[in-house]
Amino acid sequence: MKNVPVILLVLLFFLSGCAAEKRMQLPGLIRTIDDGQQKIACADIFPQGKWQFVHSIEFTMKDGAGPPVIGVTTIDGSTIGCALVTVEGLTLFEAVYRGKESVEIRRAIPPFDKPGFARGLIGDIRAIFQPPSGTVLTGQSADAAPVCRYKDVRGGVVDVERTADDCWQINGYSAELLQRSIIGRSCRKKGSGNIPEYLELKTYGRNGYTLKMTLIRADNVP
Amino acid sequence: MKLLLLLIMALWFFLVAGPAGAVAQLTPVPLQSVQADFVQEKHLKILTHPIISTGTFAFQRPQSLRWEYARPIRSILLMHDGEVKKFVEQDGRLVEDKGMQFGAMQVVLAEISNWLDGRFTENKMFQVARPTDRTILLTPKSQELAGVISRIELTLADQQGNLDGITIFEGPDSYTRMRFSKRVLNRKIPVAVFTVQ
Repeated sequence: MKNVPVILLVLLFFLSGCAAEKRMQLPGLIRTIDDGQQKIACADIFPQGKWQFVHSIEFTMKDGAGPPVIGVTTIDGSTIGCALVTVEGLTLFEAVYRGKESVEIRRAIPPFDKPGFARGLIGDIRAIFQPPSGTVLTGQSADAAPVCRYKDVRGGVVDVERTADDCWQINGYSAELLQRSIIGRSCRKKGSGNIPEYLELKTYGRNGYTLKMTLIRADNVP
Repeated sequence: MKLLLLLIMALWFFLVAGPAGAVAQLTPVPLQSVQADFVQEKHLKILTHPIISTGTFAFQRPQSLRWEYARPIRSILLMHDGEVKKFVEQDGRLVEDKGMQFGAMQVVLAEISNWLDGRFTENKMFQVARPTDRTILLTPKSQELAGVISRIELTLADQQGNLDGITIFEGPDSYTRMRFSKRVLNRKIPVAVFTVQ
């Protein structure tokens, strides 16, 4: 009996570890209605027109964090340009995505030349800056926040939710499990966009990572 | 990271060695120390507006350096007594970047003394050319470095060899331009500048 508290502590440790790994399941929506205004409001969180964003990006994985880099994103319709630049000005990676999965890699210094890196980066950028594809359903989350739910033909689901601070959150699910979450904070109206001063993108699973993005500059390019 | 450090250090020693090296071709004057502000512009084909970074640096002979970016991301490179450290701001505080590899730095450090002594053309990493009186052109000798930097242009402000700017070309549409101002030469710099964040 003397060891019971220790065993309980160990159990608690492992259970809390499991809890940390447990991924959120796709929540149900309440009061689903076809609300055109809400759809417009959801689409409005994504910048329209031609933009250039510069962020400070901190990258964290389970086994550690890398030094911050400068991230450049340009948006022009469906064309996305992106680059990662060191503080000292060295270009580590530069690519242009022109839709339909076509990616032109202009520069990739190791380890940014690894297969899948460009696709993953473009996927993250699209998730932040481009409206999800698929049919849209509007409703409310359990805490009564307005949600737009986008469902694509492959079974992927993306929830776009306006948050109480007039910013937004995006959750992407696959097989009803949370794969990627993006939280925008301190949003500021600029041109046609509602631009967050801070973004946090998390991906889940064995190789999950976190990107903390602090806005350096946003330009609505004429 | 190794190549990145090579770039930083190449930048550094061209900057500090530029005036002394160029002057040395006329009248060798040993440089003891130099401090300056800099503005760095990063140009890429995808960018409409360049990324602007600002900072300061201090160099004291023989081998002490503080290279500090103030914006947009605070970062400090310190070098003193053969020890090299880099700190980068993360989550609002300066954190040592221990992932750095110092091999490239040591290589470049070994060359700095050549530059400061005016041995301008003795360069292991770059071919040196002087297309005009006020331009020095450096092209990498190794394929490895050429994959990162295609060439470096040093622009001299005057015949005395004061350095006006550096442009590092990565490719046809990608380059980094640095301009220096408030240059102070040969003033004694406290050791703490090179050892304390």
